[in-house]
Amino acid sequence: MAANKGQGRSLSLFLVGLTAACAGLGVLSGGMGTIVLLAGIVLLAGSLWNAFKLKPLEGAVALKSQPAVTKLVGAIVVVAGWAVVLLGLHLTPSVGGRMIAAIVGLAISLVGVLYILPAACNKNAIWKA
Amino acid sequence: MKFIRSLICLCAFALTVFPGAVAHADASASTAELKDASGKAPVAADMQKGDPGGTLTGTINDVPAADPKAGVTLADVANQVGQNKIGINFTWTLITGFLVMFMQAGFAMVESGLCRVKNANHTYMMNFMVYACGLFAYWVIGFAIQMGGAAGNANLGGLAPLMTEHPITILGKTWGLFGQNGMFLAGHTYDVGVMVIFLFQMVFMDTALTIVTGAAAERWKFLTFCVSSVLMGAFTYPLFANWAWGAGWLSQLGTNVGLGKGYCDFAGSGVVHAVGGLTALAVALIIGPRIGKFNRDGSSNAIIGHDISAVLIGCFILAFGWFGFNPGSTLGASGAGCLRIGSVAVNTMLAGCTGTFGAILYMWTLKGKPDASMSGNGLLAGLVAITAPSGFVNPTGSAIIGFIAGILVCLSVSFIENRLKVDDPVGAISVHGTCGLWGVLSVGLFADGKSNYGGAWNGVTGSVTGLFYGDASQLVAQLIGIATLIGFVFTFSFLLNWVLDIILGQRVSAATEIAGLDIPEMGQLGYPEFVFAPEPDIMLAAERAVAV
Repeated sequence: MAANKGQGRSLSLFLVGLTAACAGLGVLSGGMGTIVLLAGIVLLAGSLWNAFKLKPLEGAVALKSQPAVTKLVGAIVVVAGWAVVLLGLHLTPSVGGRMIAAIVGLAISLVGVLYILPAACNKNAIWKA
Repeated sequence: MKFIRSLICLCAFALTVFPGAVAHADASASTAELKDASGKAPVAADMQKGDPGGTLTGTINDVPAADPKAGVTLADVANQVGQNKIGINFTWTLITGFLVMFMQAGFAMVESGLCRVKNANHTYMMNFMVYACGLFAYWVIGFAIQMGGAAGNANLGGLAPLMTEHPITILGKTWGLFGQNGMFLAGHTYDVGVMVIFLFQMVFMDTALTIVTGAAAERWKFLTFCVSSVLMGAFTYPLFANWAWGAGWLSQLGTNVGLGKGYCDFAGSGVVHAVGGLTALAVALIIGPRIGKFNRDGSSNAIIGHDISAVLIGCFILAFGWFGFNPGSTLGASGAGCLRIGSVAVNTMLAGCTGTFGAILYMWTLKGKPDASMSGNGLLAGLVAITAPSGFVNPTGSAIIGFIAGILVCLSVSFIENRLKVDDPVGAISVHGTCGLWGVLSVGLFADGKSNYGGAWNGVTGSVTGLFYGDASQLVAQLIGIATLIGFVFTFSFLLNWVLDIILGQRVSAATEIAGLDIPEMGQLGYPEFVFAPEPDIMLAAERAVAV
């Protein structure tokens, strides 16, 4: 089973939910804002739940599980590198110091993007079997 | 003493009255000139005879008078001049926006041409549908997040309704985080200037979204693609675009901590292309490679696209659209340094040219053939790289930036495929991600300090100047922008699409992938009357292995 009516209904519900949630957010200070926002969130959750139920019916994919912890570690390392760059802004007023902090932070982020995450995502790749 | 005091008073009185008298005399003279011009203007009888030479059309008769009895006044003329300036800028910005919108056709042709024929309809449909998904999300909330705090553009009349940036204060400095006005373009944002900037920014956002479809082509589930695109258009892109262009914190690096003119990205190497390219990398990592792309030993197989002519025509359409992308980013053709549009356009052409040469010479020299698809990618790489610096560099700088990008894209394609083992059917990650980041960096190196857009950029007086022209701090601002693109945009996209993978599933089933996505996902072949050539043996073996 590939694209089907259930998926179409999920997408419709998702778009309606997003519209309602944003409309609620737009008039949050008004009386109806909170109610419309909550209704939108419920619709969004409903659309995702509907799509989640359909997922197992679609057949096996050519992709084995990717280790979640390693993926999470990779993402954290990428963000940590960014944090070093931002901290460098406040640690020193000198251009040279900030440039060093930026380069070090970028290097840390790149370890996450170019080493940890690809290794995690390819750990159980089907082409290795 | 009394005499001196009287003399001073007399001088003061004269100084007060005299300029007024002169101005009054000037105004009288000008009013007389206006009346004289009205008297000499062609009358209805002259106009009825036709104006083949164009000498009678466009006179004082065409300046509307506030009071018809009084005739045209200086105030009327001044108002008309203001209208003309804004009218020119509106027209310029809209037409360049239309050019950028047409780039969607180029992307569709490039991406579909580089995919196999059994996925042609699906790839075209992703490029078609991303326009609707992105536009809808941007109208609902994305535009408000990006531009809701971006008042102050004199070229488009000030954009005063967009003035509510949500700030955060850190160590006594105020930094912009996201805009708040403009959801559904309702309320005060139902404004002529806001509509123009909405259209222009929307097509930029859509360009970023369509980059992702290339990297995930031939295996992306259509439902998940739609949801992912909506969320990217609603949140991922607008957040970074706000920080760079919408009065956000990256643009304040100059005013707050003295780093050059803040993060500078003239037309979006970072905001558009790196955001699209890094999101493409995130999705490609999660979705995995196509069946048969890699062998058991990790070596890769070339999966040849079905229509190289579509690819090259698509590249030309994109190059044409880029004249909207870069020169249009002046947001006007009149006032505040806008006459630099010619320079921006020439820089764009040159970088595309040298990018093509960079890629073609690299491939021809090292691989033996002037590879067509890499030549196309070289053109696009040069254009992507010059997008950020196009408004700040000279033609020599732009040629160097483009040439480096042309070589860089070849190296990056090889690195991503052979080292990272990430399958990117069209090279989107390299063209837009790698070369987008190079473009951002190159501003900090090559900006020549000669541009002048109203005397300041991002609220800092002076011209954007890079390291090679004496300002190292600009390079630091650009590095911080790059770190934010990788640290925030990539990670946010990765986590968002990971969650979508858990809930919806990013990838089509193996059976669907082997059959081709056209029938299972779209219900129709792209080319129903074609007889498909069988897949190469190595692909068939891989498909059989997966099917078992």
